Amino acid sequence: MKLSAKYNRVNFITTIVVMLITGLVYYQAISWILTRQKDKDLKVEEQEIFEFVRLNHHLPQIFESNDQQISFSEAPSGSVRREFINTVYFKQWGKDAFHRKHGGKIRGEYEAGRGLITSVSVGDKYYKVRIVESKVETEDLIRLIFTITIGVILLLLLVLLTTNWLILNRLWRPFYGIMKELRLFSVTDSKEISKQDTAIDEFKELNHAVAEMAAKAKHDYKDLKIFTENASHELLTPIAVINSKLDTLIQTENFSDRQSKLLNDLYSAVSRLNRLNQSLLLLVKIENRLLHERHPINLRELVEEMIAQFEEIFHDKGLKLTCNLDDKEISASPYLAEILLNNLFSNAVRHNYSGGEIRIGLNAGCLTMQNTGDDNPLPVEKIFTRFHKSSGSEGSGLGLTISRQICENFGYKLNYYFSAGFHTFVVDFINK
Amino acid sequence: MRIISSSFSTTGEMNQRNPKSFKSAVENYSAKSKNHPKSAVIFNKKIALKILIIEDEEGLRESIEEYFSEAGNICETVANYRDALVKVNLYRYDCILLDITLPGGNGIDILKNLKEHNHPDGVLIISAKNSLDDRLDGLNLGADDYLVKPFHLSELKARVSAIIRRKTFNGSNLLIFNEITIDLLAKEVKVDKSLVKLTRKEYALLLYFLANKGKVVSKNAIAEHLWGDGIDMANNFDFIYSHIKNIRKKLMEAGCNDYIQAAYGMGYKFTEQ
Repeated sequence: MKLSAKYNRVNFITTIVVMLITGLVYYQAISWILTRQKDKDLKVEEQEIFEFVRLNHHLPQIFESNDQQISFSEAPSGSVRREFINTVYFKQWGKDAFHRKHGGKIRGEYEAGRGLITSVSVGDKYYKVRIVESKVETEDLIRLIFTITIGVILLLLLVLLTTNWLILNRLWRPFYGIMKELRLFSVTDSKEISKQDTAIDEFKELNHAVAEMAAKAKHDYKDLKIFTENASHELLTPIAVINSKLDTLIQTENFSDRQSKLLNDLYSAVSRLNRLNQSLLLLVKIENRLLHERHPINLRELVEEMIAQFEEIFHDKGLKLTCNLDDKEISASPYLAEILLNNLFSNAVRHNYSGGEIRIGLNAGCLTMQNTGDDNPLPVEKIFTRFHKSSGSEGSGLGLTISRQICENFGYKLNYYFSAGFHTFVVDFINK
Repeated sequence: MRIISSSFSTTGEMNQRNPKSFKSAVENYSAKSKNHPKSAVIFNKKIALKILIIEDEEGLRESIEEYFSEAGNICETVANYRDALVKVNLYRYDCILLDITLPGGNGIDILKNLKEHNHPDGVLIISAKNSLDDRLDGLNLGADDYLVKPFHLSELKARVSAIIRRKTFNGSNLLIFNEITIDLLAKEVKVDKSLVKLTRKEYALLLYFLANKGKVVSKNAIAEHLWGDGIDMANNFDFIYSHIKNIRKKLMEAGCNDYIQAAYGMGYKFTEQ
């Protein structure tokens, strides 16, 4: 949800709630004032009746004025309590031609009314007096005031929303500018985060923080690159010394079988150590996207080169090779592409049995590498993790991790499945 | 994984994996051979080579020195930037093995110094920095080759031999060892004038042996030279055995002496005896 939408929603709801409460209070207040006004009128009327009775010693004649009805009824002495009531007022329609009598019934309508129950004593008789006034005009007034208020509220809301929308859009422009910069940011290129033109302190601060963070990330990244190179140097030099000493050692003549066996073991251990170290460094480099140059590569040519490279090894293990290669051009780092293929080929050979089979397929959508081997499928979730090795594997346990990293680096997907006795690795160029 | 040691190698005739760079190397050869009469490198003649080893790591320096110090060869060693700069400005060498990270300075600066003074010495950079930038920098600045640590001494020797062959003998394209004659341009091997048909890898292997004549070359070194160090076929060097067997068979059928000996199950030795 966009901030402006969220903001508008909250704004809208609170405005409506507040307006409703205000409206209610407003209505009550006006209603109360007007009722008091009515009550005052009623009191005046009552006073008039009392005055009339005091002067004339009989009840006034009941007459109906506009919006006022007075009725007297005899009541036991002292039974009437003086009170104001909300009641209904039956308005009889005029006797003019416009309103006719209908079926003997008096036609009229009920309106809200305000009444005063009071009592008067004429001689020894006690009367209950009921004065009712119509409140219809009051109600009309209230309704009018209320309608105008609602109208004003709606207008205000509309204006508020529009201005909010306009202001927010304009206000947040620098924010979106910074977002765009961040999205384009890469630690590897030398482009700085550009300064946003804004007068708002918060965005200035954000821009500043982002620029600072970017500079720090670049600095850390550079540090890491230096560290990687240093680590590589520090580790490779001793390995190089061991290697060269071994090379020198075997030049001295006359080894017993036992000694040469030991030397052979040393050689393979050093070469493994070296490969492991190289793999780790490569992994760090790929993960840090240090190798990001792109060149157009004809993958088919590369696969064919790799097949030629592995020819003797296939032959030596008696592996049957089936190829189905279409032309496929990719844009990638040739160095990484070669490592990827090398890993896939090495795996297909290493986990194969003598006289097994390898199938390689390449089309516009994917590169598939199938090999016979163990009868059971590999655990898909584990094979791509670091240092996962099948029993008896001589590899570093990093080959598939590196392969997957390379694929991700290229924007491809590396999948594994097992079917009909073939372990299959698929480099999917399309589905990411 | 494989470090692209060979993709950028300028050891022309050994470069099989990068047809483009091989082609340019070939063109280079032919351009040179127009200006110079065909000369041949006679391998069993003792030719004194002068080599300077600039390497701060003592163990490595000593090993390289020992490996290169055959009869007649002169190996000089320096361990730091200052001494190296003095040496390269005082004397000329057939090949300089140059480490990039040196106490007191950067090996690249020594290379720049050499090129500024137009010294013709062959330069092979040996570095632990396997970053593409460094490699390209080095080669662009005029280094002849770039080898990443750790390496086998036999690989180093093969590369140095290739550089010296190009520099000293003006890109000669004939390599002669007793009855074996190798035409580097045509990639042909002849034994007493009769052609021996070798596969690409067998040919590369023969050259590798010739460069390391008299030395025991380990099976690891052979595997890494022919298949790259990413081959990762640890402990399974049977396929090397079949290669060696094939070469010996082909050469001996053409009437060549058997020069290749197995050495204690660790490797092979190309020797006259």
